[in-house]
Amino acid sequence: MAYEITLLTTMAISVLFALSLNFITGFCGQISLGHAAFMGVGAYTAATMMKASISLLFVIPVAAVFAGVLGLLVGFASLRVRHDFLAITTMGVVFLFVGVVRQQEFLGGEIGISGIQQSVLGRTGFMLLCVVLAGVFAGFSLLVKRSWLGFVFDSIADNEDVSQVLGIDVAKYKLFAFVVGTATAGTAGALYAQHYRFVGPDSFGFVESISVLAMVVVGGIGSVWGVMFAAAVLSVLPLLIQFVDDYKILVYSALLFSMMRFSPDGLAGIVQRLLNRVRNR
Amino acid sequence: MKPVLEVKNVTVRFGGVTAVDDASLTMQGGDLIGFVGPNGAGKTTLMRVITGIVRPHEGSVWLEGKDLTKLATNQRIRAGLALAQQIVQPLRKMSLLENVALACGFSKTANPFKALKSFDKSAEKATARELLRRVGLQDVVDAEPSKLPLGYLKRLEVARALALKPKLLLLDEPLAGLNQSEASSLADLIKTLNQDGLSILLIEHNLREVLRICPQVYVQDLGKSLAFGNSNEIMNQPEVIKAYLGES
Amino acid sequence: MLYLELLFQGIVQGSIYALIALGLTLVYGLLRILHVAHAALFTLGGYIGVIVTNQTGSLALAILAAMIVVGLVGVAMYKLAYEPLLSKPPFIALIASIALFIAAEELFRIIFGPYGLSYENPPLQGGFEIISGFFLKYGEALVIILSILILSVLGWVSGYTRLGVSWRATVTDPDMARAFGVNTQHVRYLNFFIGSALAAVAGVLVALLNNLVEPTMGSVPSYKALAIIVLGGLGSIRGTLLASMILGVIESFGTIYIGHLLDRDALAFGFLIVVLMFRPQGLLGTR
Repeated sequence: MAYEITLLTTMAISVLFALSLNFITGFCGQISLGHAAFMGVGAYTAATMMKASISLLFVIPVAAVFAGVLGLLVGFASLRVRHDFLAITTMGVVFLFVGVVRQQEFLGGEIGISGIQQSVLGRTGFMLLCVVLAGVFAGFSLLVKRSWLGFVFDSIADNEDVSQVLGIDVAKYKLFAFVVGTATAGTAGALYAQHYRFVGPDSFGFVESISVLAMVVVGGIGSVWGVMFAAAVLSVLPLLIQFVDDYKILVYSALLFSMMRFSPDGLAGIVQRLLNRVRNR
Repeated sequence: MKPVLEVKNVTVRFGGVTAVDDASLTMQGGDLIGFVGPNGAGKTTLMRVITGIVRPHEGSVWLEGKDLTKLATNQRIRAGLALAQQIVQPLRKMSLLENVALACGFSKTANPFKALKSFDKSAEKATARELLRRVGLQDVVDAEPSKLPLGYLKRLEVARALALKPKLLLLDEPLAGLNQSEASSLADLIKTLNQDGLSILLIEHNLREVLRICPQVYVQDLGKSLAFGNSNEIMNQPEVIKAYLGES
Repeated sequence: MLYLELLFQGIVQGSIYALIALGLTLVYGLLRILHVAHAALFTLGGYIGVIVTNQTGSLALAILAAMIVVGLVGVAMYKLAYEPLLSKPPFIALIASIALFIAAEELFRIIFGPYGLSYENPPLQGGFEIISGFFLKYGEALVIILSILILSVLGWVSGYTRLGVSWRATVTDPDMARAFGVNTQHVRYLNFFIGSALAAVAGVLVALLNNLVEPTMGSVPSYKALAIIVLGGLGSIRGTLLASMILGVIESFGTIYIGHLLDRDALAFGFLIVVLMFRPQGLLGTR
């Protein structure tokens, strides 16, 4: 049972993290190559507080706020740059984050923070908390998609200049997406710190940022169900394809490449096409 | 009654070039003014000053007595401007109906929190359908913009601008790229919209259509206001003819 | 003396950055793709360089072989991976490129082993004294000389030959270029060939300086080169050269003086972000 609980917790945290990026990149169309930095801020905040024996339930909102505040700052900076410039700026954010954390003694420097206590919830209780939080954010995402907010996000993702001409305050909407997405990533980070009971600078770098973007894109950018499914599967895929041991990263990258090459709209796109085929029959 | 649009002594320089030089224009409510001038006259630049894409070095822009000069584009739209752009820019992943409905919902999209609380789109879609009928696109409401010819998209631009319930409609070369019959039917539509009470400023190269539908024209040349008044009189003024035909 | 040494180190690093980033700029200028897998071609160049040198004993032959093979691999990569994605949103090609890069790193590890290869008889060992007490290695001198040579030739080709005119026309307006009889498809192939060949040269040179090629040698260039071309102003060749040099020098001084606050990468990206806040279009970019 313990193995299944670990697996399910890992999945739930990944789903929450991937959905948080989906909010920024999938909904609002703002690419980010540095999303792991915000998970890192949440994780480090939580780890430091939990080491001081502060309860997890109090730690989570604080981690979310810290990540959200940084998200707001980065969001303001991001308003100045677009498209590929934005992609590389966000990539810069994650390298800056890792670079700064590495040199801070109170954050454990290169070694990181280990020996975080288990919360009062116990393993099963903590798993349930992760699943509930991921579920709540998934529900919120679906709600946003149906609302006028989702409608406006679609138009910004499509063409910012046109959105301006339709009277939409693009900056405000982008900042909103950034804050919600990064605060949620911070939440996922707090869960991560509790789950692994360890945080280190290498856990939240460029590679992790790309992995989470891969989850979003493989699921189908903007599709809540697709992203949930992809995050759940990809987070445990390395464990599931142990049998190809030495080739597992090769298999992973080949899958990712094939997905981009043959179905750029992800799993959601494949499902959509299959459905259309069935309907047209 | 305050004038619907006042452009006061606007000057714009790009590097060493003065694109608009001390230009002024006043429009009364209900006017349909053709804004003409030869290539390089600074028409598009002045239009961009009005919409807020270009900041003027000097001068100001007023809409029904409200100073727009310091406002961003989206705020000017909310103050009552609407723009149909020269280069059509539909939202490509949305149907025509959704394109227009989004504009119709401008009161719901004022900020993210308001937008998050609003779900119903039926009223906006009904209005959008009506507007698309008005511009003659009733048969393609559910089509994707990328599959339609230019003439349709020009009309979509107009419908989307109308959806914002503007006090003043700015049209930037709506007839450019259209054939003669398309152009004249769109020009007829513009005239009808004006007769229904809408103030319209029309930038257009197609002089024939401008003179046919616009009672008044505003002529700009080399960035300066050259003439303003009754269309037929203005177009017979020697300096206007000279601006168009060059020294002779 | 320390200043001079740091400056030279910065210039050597900057020259290598320039050789790598230039190919990336060529690709971006033409196709608007952030070509991360470019760094895998750099590594491949390093491997070919070491293997050919060890087999034949000639570094010149190794550089030539690396340029040709890697150039062709680059063209194949364009044909098989990027061409079908050109009409898709840009991040699709970006992620495909990242996947390609990771796969290539794994292939290097599986084929050549995880510990890397070295020159059996490392060429160009030793150095010479420029002024008293200040030595430059022969390898470093070669880096600077080769970079200047290659960039001059490229500058001449793009400015003064028919080929260069076709290339610039294709970058500016592909449809217009086609109307004037330029075979834009060939220009794209050539673009990838040249860009990849430049990365190969950089790979051989880095392998020479470190006397080592390893599967992960492209990881840092994979993202650093992106930062450089963005800093230069995406697609601007002169901007890329300028950014390469500035970054090379800043990193070389920065790691000594503020290394305790920020590591090398953070320094580079910190500088990038600061520049972009003031010039969102990059150093020499146009909007």
